[in-house]
Amino acid sequence: MKDALKAAQDAIDQVVLGKSHAVKLALTCILAKGHLLIEDLPGMGKTTLSQALASVLGMSYQRIQFTSDLLPGDILGTSVFDRNSGQFVFHPGPIFAELVLADEINRATPKSQSALLEAMEEGQVTVDGATRPLPDPFFVIATQNPVSQGGTFALPESQLDRFLMRLSLGYPSEKAEKSLLLGDDRRARLDRVEAILGHDELRRLQALVPQVNASEALVDYILRLVNHTRNSDVCAWGLSPRASLGLLAAARAWALLEQRSYVIPEDVQAVLPSVVSHRLRAANDPAGHGGDSLALWLLNEVPAV
Amino acid sequence: MSAAGLIPRNSLAWLLTAQVVVLLPHLPRLPWWVALLWVGCALWRVQIQRMRWHSPGILLKSAALVAILLGVFLTQGTLLGLDATVMFLLLLFMLKLLEMHNPRDALVVVYLGFFILATAFLFDQGIPLTLYQCGSLLVLVAALVGLQQSAGRNDPARALRIGGVMLLQAIPLLLVLFIFFPRLEPLWSVNMPGGSSKTGLSDTMSPADIANLARSPELAFRASFDGEIPPLSTLYWRALTLSRFDGRSWSQDRLLNNLPALPLDTSGESVEYRVVAGASGQHWVYSLRGATTDNPALRRMHDFNLQSIAPLNSTFGYRARSYVNVQMQAEPLSKLERARQLELPQQGDPRAREWAQALREQHPDDGDLVQAVLGYFNQQPFFYTLKPTPLGEHSNDEFLFDTRRGFCEHYAGAMTFVLRAAGIPSRIVAGYQGGEVNEQGGYVLVHQFDAHVWVEVWLAGRGWVSVDPTFQVAPERIEQGLEEAVRGEGSFLEDSYLSGSRYRGVTWLNDARLAWDNVNYQWQLRVLNFKGEEQMGLFRRWLGTADWQRVGMVVLGLAGGIMLLQAMWWLRPQRMNGSAQQRVWKRLDQRLARLRLQALPGEGPRAWQQRLQVALPAQRSVIDSFFDEFVRQSYAATDSASKADQQQLQQALRALFKVIPRKRPASASYLLQDGPLSSRDKSL
Repeated sequence: MKDALKAAQDAIDQVVLGKSHAVKLALTCILAKGHLLIEDLPGMGKTTLSQALASVLGMSYQRIQFTSDLLPGDILGTSVFDRNSGQFVFHPGPIFAELVLADEINRATPKSQSALLEAMEEGQVTVDGATRPLPDPFFVIATQNPVSQGGTFALPESQLDRFLMRLSLGYPSEKAEKSLLLGDDRRARLDRVEAILGHDELRRLQALVPQVNASEALVDYILRLVNHTRNSDVCAWGLSPRASLGLLAAARAWALLEQRSYVIPEDVQAVLPSVVSHRLRAANDPAGHGGDSLALWLLNEVPAV
Repeated sequence: MSAAGLIPRNSLAWLLTAQVVVLLPHLPRLPWWVALLWVGCALWRVQIQRMRWHSPGILLKSAALVAILLGVFLTQGTLLGLDATVMFLLLLFMLKLLEMHNPRDALVVVYLGFFILATAFLFDQGIPLTLYQCGSLLVLVAALVGLQQSAGRNDPARALRIGGVMLLQAIPLLLVLFIFFPRLEPLWSVNMPGGSSKTGLSDTMSPADIANLARSPELAFRASFDGEIPPLSTLYWRALTLSRFDGRSWSQDRLLNNLPALPLDTSGESVEYRVVAGASGQHWVYSLRGATTDNPALRRMHDFNLQSIAPLNSTFGYRARSYVNVQMQAEPLSKLERARQLELPQQGDPRAREWAQALREQHPDDGDLVQAVLGYFNQQPFFYTLKPTPLGEHSNDEFLFDTRRGFCEHYAGAMTFVLRAAGIPSRIVAGYQGGEVNEQGGYVLVHQFDAHVWVEVWLAGRGWVSVDPTFQVAPERIEQGLEEAVRGEGSFLEDSYLSGSRYRGVTWLNDARLAWDNVNYQWQLRVLNFKGEEQMGLFRRWLGTADWQRVGMVVLGLAGGIMLLQAMWWLRPQRMNGSAQQRVWKRLDQRLARLRLQALPGEGPRAWQQRLQVALPAQRSVIDSFFDEFVRQSYAATDSASKADQQQLQQALRALFKVIPRKRPASASYLLQDGPLSSRDKSL
């Protein structure tokens, strides 16, 4: 089954070229049952990555393009009067998919954003008084564009905290881009991707994650990291317990992807930048985009053993 | 010439800083071109460092040597003596900058700096300079540390920090040496610095000498008493007696001075006191009437004064006991002495001689005659002033009968003249009268403006008796001091605007002045004067003996003990904190630091392992087995490590220690600049 994980990873790498680390992190995120926020410029392969993930994992896929006039109903679905039956019939919104891509989440109004974020948190939606469960597995990939911020509603810290990881794909290497240009159409490649992991297998893998051994020494390391952000004047505020839980879950999932039954400090170090960077803000940086360098600073400051 | 670049930049910066700091206290005493020369030398040295200029050749260096010798001679007028030699040393110290080709030369400059730091104390031993020199010492040590640092290091504050820690560690040793190290008298005699033109009494007295002295606010000496301070009006501090008169000025009688000291009756009432005198360059010291002392550096003189065997070239403290009511030389004077104490010039002052004869006829008793002269001063319109009318040829005549305006020396001089003319042996005593009480310190400050002269008369059966004609004219001078006595005239310290003594009326200013003076006095008493008898007394109190052998053993024992304690602290075992694995990790980290293979900040075990595999390929299997065991115990095991596990890890560590090289191979280039994090970044 662990080989299936490797195969899934390879299959996505076939589509998203030269981004194996980001792909691995995205898989880690799914295994740790967390949601993913991708922050990058347009055209960097955010959609491709999410589509490839959906295909490989055999998930149903929906995309919601967030705009400023998007209403909660457009996400969750509405009840429409059916003349034939004389009753209101619920038409589920795009949220009722296993993998939802919320594109440019920061373009929507806070009201619509919170509809999505509530669904992410609760695993269910309530429309017209009726509570409807979301499918399982349920995984949200939200994207936002860090550059053009005009007319957007930046996610507040409390909502950023709902995402287990924040990734940034970045430009591909020259080699990867060359093979991208020389190769097939991406659509054609995507179509060729087959489901490698079924829902049952994914669920079983997700259940394996908490069983990965995190020793006392390792937990101490995570505590050192978290406490350092809380006690240092460099950070505006420290990491929350949700963040340390997320860090441990992500490190376990990463260890699982590394085919190991225990977590070592390197696993924590691998996932830490994407897990904590959107949760940290430098004390002297009111804009709050220095999270990545803070994560590196943190790793360099705290002894691993 | 390129060898000049061998001194690290950081070290040179420290060296130049240290030079400035060390030279600064000397500069006010030196001509302006000395500072200019230093700037030139420093600039040249910096240019050598930047490889812009060459070092000077042998010809230029020889010329510079001749030039500075000439400069010293032209400035000081001699090549010998303290001022000239110190100046010469300073100049060589500067020129050495240009001759500094390698770190060894730089070391010489720093060592010279320590020496020059010490020479500053030949000129001044006050608290401000001492504090400043503590700072200089720190900078010099920092320069020394800087010279030992590798060329690549570019952190000047580090040298300062290390130097500071070193000096702090030296403080216990400093205290031991301060207390126990013998203060050797210098093997050679050092002349007074600064051309010996000190304000103070001199061994001749012409009219207006003391009046000039009374314009000076400088401190003459301080005295503290065992017990209560006697009333100021009784404090007549004797320094020297003047017995020879040449018609104009009074001077010491060397012949009488060299007669043996006379016995003193030590049964009466006495006061004991301690005096700390400033450098005067003279032999005499200050004491009250009938003084004795145990101090071997002092001797009692024939005129019942105390004298120092060596001139007072630096601050000098001593204890003395005075039997204030004792009779001095009650037995009849020898023929020679009587003759010399009556001697007057053949000519001059006819009116005074006439008056003396008239008095003699009127008062056959010597005591009555003395009273008559005092009465004359009291009843006639004499005026006590700091600005007496200049006197002509017959100075005593003019003063006694015409001008009648004078300072103490006029009264004492005229009275002694008249008494001698009347056939009564008499002499002038010069010294200080009164002083200022420092309540905080409980001592008396005596300034130059307290300088005073009075008269001593020899009366049969009573010996030498002091009489003060000034008291008849201006009793407030004796009772309240000079300031009160000349208040109407407004001439008290009228030229010394900056003198604190002038502003005694301002309470807070006066308090601050006295407080600062007290600090200085305690410094002189307890620190500078801690030598000779004081030191011996302490040894006797503490050790029961002042035997140098015993003291030496104590010093060695204490110094050794202190160093041992410091070494123990330094070599103390690392505290046992953290888990067993963490301690093993730390030991490996320290061991590998010698090979510069220590764990990078935040580096995890596997990343370190990989780095070590690359660096030490031959030891790979041992490295792997250690790290496998480490990771297994720390992370893979579900329960905490057992004793057996810990021993296994220790064994793996020992095995690793055995195979890794002791020192970093010279050819090693395996120091990875990239940390574990940057390598991960590439994959991101």
